[in-house]
Amino acid sequence: MITAINRDIMPENWYNVVPDLPEPLAPPRDSKQDVSSINLLNKILPREVLKQEFTFRRYEKIPDEVMEQYEQIGRPTPLIRAKNLEKYLDYHGKIFYKYEGATATGSHKINTAIPQAYYAMKEGVKGVTTETGAGQWGSATALAASLYGLPAQIFMVRISFEQKPLRKTVMNLYNGNVVASPSTLTEYGRKMLKEHPDTPGTLGIGISEAVEYALDHDYRYMVASVMNVALTHQSVIGQETKKQLELIGEHADVLIGCVGGGSNFGGFTFPFIPDGDETEIIATTADEVPKFSKGDYKYDLVDSAGVLPQMRMYSLGADFVPPTIYAGGLRYHGASPSLSLLINKGRIKSDEVTESQVKEALRIFANTQGIIAAPESGHAIATAINYVKAHKNENKTIVVNVSGHGMLDLSIFGEKK
Amino acid sequence: MKNLIPYFTLGYPDNTRLCRFLDIIPVEKINYIEFGFPSIDPRYDGPVIRKTHSVGNINFSGEVYSKYFDYFSRNHVKMYSLSYYSDIKDRFDEFIGYLQMNKFSGIIIPDLIIDYFNDSRKVIEKLNDMGFEYIPFFSPATPDSIIKSIASITNSWIYYGLQPSTGIEIPYELDYTTERINTLLPGREITYGFGIKTDDDIKNLMKNGGSGVAIGTYLVKMIDAGDEKGFIDYIEKMRGVLDE
Repeated sequence: MITAINRDIMPENWYNVVPDLPEPLAPPRDSKQDVSSINLLNKILPREVLKQEFTFRRYEKIPDEVMEQYEQIGRPTPLIRAKNLEKYLDYHGKIFYKYEGATATGSHKINTAIPQAYYAMKEGVKGVTTETGAGQWGSATALAASLYGLPAQIFMVRISFEQKPLRKTVMNLYNGNVVASPSTLTEYGRKMLKEHPDTPGTLGIGISEAVEYALDHDYRYMVASVMNVALTHQSVIGQETKKQLELIGEHADVLIGCVGGGSNFGGFTFPFIPDGDETEIIATTADEVPKFSKGDYKYDLVDSAGVLPQMRMYSLGADFVPPTIYAGGLRYHGASPSLSLLINKGRIKSDEVTESQVKEALRIFANTQGIIAAPESGHAIATAINYVKAHKNENKTIVVNVSGHGMLDLSIFGEKK
Repeated sequence: MKNLIPYFTLGYPDNTRLCRFLDIIPVEKINYIEFGFPSIDPRYDGPVIRKTHSVGNINFSGEVYSKYFDYFSRNHVKMYSLSYYSDIKDRFDEFIGYLQMNKFSGIIIPDLIIDYFNDSRKVIEKLNDMGFEYIPFFSPATPDSIIKSIASITNSWIYYGLQPSTGIEIPYELDYTTERINTLLPGREITYGFGIKTDDDIKNLMKNGGSGVAIGTYLVKMIDAGDEKGFIDYIEKMRGVLDE
């Protein structure tokens, strides 16, 4: 049973933004001429996940079993007023942060890992597989799979695998099997290793390996981000935030989040979209991966191998190999189609911040609020600080999504990128 | 009479073989027919229909089909063109003029409100002024507000694609899908397409208030095999299902 107090805050449904978009979402396109990569999804994703990917239902009921697990892993997460940060910045408005680092795995990723593993278990699949960048998604997948008794094969981007050995330990503790990607487990991985033996790896390569592994082993692929279903599951973040603000009589003037593929950002902000244009929404990326300012809004590959369908999104190109930056979760070349459409239409603004701005923001946040945020989340905090400085006298209520903690990313403070 | 709409890509598999099928269509069993004018980039079609466009581009000859257009028109079968705006936008007036000259009733433009949303209202109003039906093409990904606004400036039937592209089989909730479009557009004639092949598919759609179905991908394998009898049997069977 969900406790009564949590029941008041946790939503009963996931929210899907597609019916509320200002224009039709461009459908996925097959990546190859003579086969349907869209049809292939039937063999890659759990059936219910696939159905939810293409649904236009505005609200999708969260199964009771998933609700129970949401509570077990720490939902609802806290919405905290950052009074110390306000004071530090001499800001007379209000700053709140939604803290997804309070979940069991330390990030928002578990919000979609649980339902995807649940549906996979219900459908009796042999196991699940996925890619991970910084390791947060891999940790969430490993835990969710373990909760439902499924084996998990995780392909971790090589540079992160080398830089973050503790993440591997976490995934192993959750019974996940982790390899550096590119790996020798898949044909695509072997090909990449042969052609680019020193590659640091990319999320695109990791996705390609996981999808191939799913097809070859009758596993199902777990969707970390980009695809709409992940954003829909993540909507628990934004819906809780709305409810928590409502309970204290507050209203968000500005929402700020960071964007890798767009799942924490979409989950946090999309539930506010139907309320109109009153709330300013800002998506922050790393300036090393400037997908919104220098990327093209076009159909592009989601994975490097082109097994998955193409999607229309802002993209730096599927062959874009980003710098081995401090925030592995933001290294993805593209962004979710629904988020891309809302940025293209001007409903959501974008911002880019530098590594030094992020590190400074993380230090300020740690010193004022005591929270060591994930480097990815540091981008959102940096944008929020910049916003406050630029709008000092407007006294707005700013809400920032701190998508995860950075307790396993402390090495970024001791070395250059 | 419920709408049974067979779809053919002109020029596929070649003009002679396609004409053999057009010759034997039992016109009394269909009321609409949809002709795909071969596209250079049929981006929202599945691999089967994409192949027909790619072959059709090589073979298509307007002269071959003019007598069929006349034949269907004389037999009161309304003809609709399936054309991508990306192919016709630079010769739009000329193309619509060609269709009108050949007694087509209207046009389905699958990429108009997706890739050319800002131009879509102007294009639809122009078609209205020309007295030519624009058939709104919607899919599950079309937002509610767009369905309502586009439908409000047209009077024709609606083409609702159940799948992300032709010939695809992604699981979906039929009851919820039909209920949604019926609620958004009460009383409007809704014809369903994409991924429909069995009589059960059709029965369920009609039970939920559908006005008809369009069938394309499923016919291609009959055309490929030259299965003229199978084709006639299939059309007659589907007519029967629609009339139940």
